[in-house]
Amino acid sequence: MRLLDRYEEIVGHQEVERLRRLAERVAGKRVVHVNSTRLGGGVAEILGWMVPLLEELGINARWEVISGPPEFYRVTKAFHNGLQGLPVSLRKSDFDLHYEVNRENAQRLNLEADIVFVHDPQPIYLPQFTPPGQVARWIWRCHIDASRPNRAIWQYLAKAVSHYAAAIFSMPAFARPLGCPMFLIFPSIDPLSDKNCAIPEAERLETLSRLGIDPERPLLVQVSRFDRFKDPLGVIEAYRLLKPYYPEMQLALAGGTADDDPEGAEVLREVRDLAGDDADLRVLMLPPDAHRTINALQRSATVVLQKSLKEGFGLTVTEALWKAKPVIGGACGGIALQVHDYRTGFLVYSPAGAAYRIHYLLRYADKRQRMGQAGHEFIREHFLLTRNLRDYLTMLLYLDHPQSQAIVV
Amino acid sequence: MPRGKDQQAMEAAEPFRVMDCSLVRCATGRACSNLRELLEAIRSVPDAVLEHHMMRCALEDHFELHEFPNDLARWCWTVLGDNMLGEQLGLVDPYRESSTAALRAALVNLIEDRLWGLDRVPWCRPGLELHLVESHLIAYDTLERIFTPAALAEAVQRLSLRSLFYHVHDARRRTAGQADDFSAWLEQCDAEASLVATLRKIDFSFLNLSQLRQALVEAFRHYAAEALPVARSAP
Repeated sequence: MRLLDRYEEIVGHQEVERLRRLAERVAGKRVVHVNSTRLGGGVAEILGWMVPLLEELGINARWEVISGPPEFYRVTKAFHNGLQGLPVSLRKSDFDLHYEVNRENAQRLNLEADIVFVHDPQPIYLPQFTPPGQVARWIWRCHIDASRPNRAIWQYLAKAVSHYAAAIFSMPAFARPLGCPMFLIFPSIDPLSDKNCAIPEAERLETLSRLGIDPERPLLVQVSRFDRFKDPLGVIEAYRLLKPYYPEMQLALAGGTADDDPEGAEVLREVRDLAGDDADLRVLMLPPDAHRTINALQRSATVVLQKSLKEGFGLTVTEALWKAKPVIGGACGGIALQVHDYRTGFLVYSPAGAAYRIHYLLRYADKRQRMGQAGHEFIREHFLLTRNLRDYLTMLLYLDHPQSQAIVV
Repeated sequence: MPRGKDQQAMEAAEPFRVMDCSLVRCATGRACSNLRELLEAIRSVPDAVLEHHMMRCALEDHFELHEFPNDLARWCWTVLGDNMLGEQLGLVDPYRESSTAALRAALVNLIEDRLWGLDRVPWCRPGLELHLVESHLIAYDTLERIFTPAALAEAVQRLSLRSLFYHVHDARRRTAGQADDFSAWLEQCDAEASLVATLRKIDFSFLNLSQLRQALVEAFRHYAAEALPVARSAP
């Protein structure tokens, strides 16, 4: 069985056939994706399914990963924070280190291709050091909300972007004016991955038992890296506001750190300090491959939270909606694209707001169920990997016919 | 339509070519925070931006979640809180305008008129700006062919929503509001005139794509029992 055939059960035979028809028009193109880690974080997950599926569709696709010393990842984490507007302090030597690591990687990696997609800022300077003619088109895929970046960091990165034929952003609000076309492609999830597939009930219960969670009592879940922008402390505050009214309520904060996120340990310590010895509050530090554990947690949730203060697209929201759970999300980034008040969940602006909406959803089981079903269908239509693949293929076609208003192929 | 006539139609007309489509969306880097900025934007943005927010936004299916058929009406109503303008913009049917220039003029006139009567310009809250997007439609042949009206009646139940958009919404754009592809083909097939007329009467600008499918299915079902014979289509 071909890989794509497995998705027919979810999106239908016709949808998969249409993808194959579309791909015939761009078959044979040589495409390389470059990012900074094979494990952990949304980008690695996306590339994990996208590269083999592009290959099956006739695209000659490869995935390369840059590497560098730990100090490099501290700098790129600062870039990440700075792009999202957090105050960061970097020295000239930090920028120099980033530049040099890119130079070394350009020499080491096999980048010969028609199109190289460079994901996020870590490998952004690769075009500078790649011999002319080796890559026909460079495209920068920015997964981060770069709408209000730290000025010094943006100035440094914008210089690199001048070598790119185009950029891709996850939402229009994330884009900053650049001198090249700025495509928009929403991210997506793989409904058959370990994190999103259906799991046996026995496995779900065994997972809860292992984590010390009572399957009979209401459970709030937030799954995300231990990162300040995900506001895990705000989630605990919301839980504590409600706990006197729902003493049986449990909260699980589950997350991990990616290879390129050295700040996670510090945030985790703060979260553990605040959680104290509350037996109903589980702070779960999970390894990057704990996908089925996360799957079980999300499926066991009464309500899923993603109370971010800043967010890229928010794939954890997509995952929860796919599992037919209503989501209470911070009104930022891609969460606002997925969470629609009273339809798929609620957008909130404070810990008190989160507590208020949790209270509402715990009170009305029928509304939870209806919102969950609506969310599931919403994700099927808009945010599964088949749509993401179609957007990439369409963009590849468009690059061969730029300036055309409408193209018939 | 009797069976013999349907078979004659197969011989007389080219088979219906099922197309699918997808959008390439590009950020323009431009956003509106208030009604005056929206007016300036509508005056100056490329056609592809206007067409996206007034027509191709239907492919994003927000109409299922909200009540207005275009992005501009939705933003004015929900974000600026200008309900009157939201209603007026919701009524603008881009497919009835003779060109994008005419659509632009109609929108400018409505917003100018509204601004003229306001004491203060409505603003949005930070973070709720209207980000202007440019889109391009890529259409491609699915290789599916439909040979008879009856087969078309069966196919509209399963065609992708994007195919319906291409054959109804975009067809009206391509033909300056004249006809959708389904009724145009049925007409060539010498199908029942009332079926053609019923299809052309569907007011798709007030339907999301799933509702459009239902309206098409209903239109065909009305005739199916007595008129449309055995379906046959080829992949």
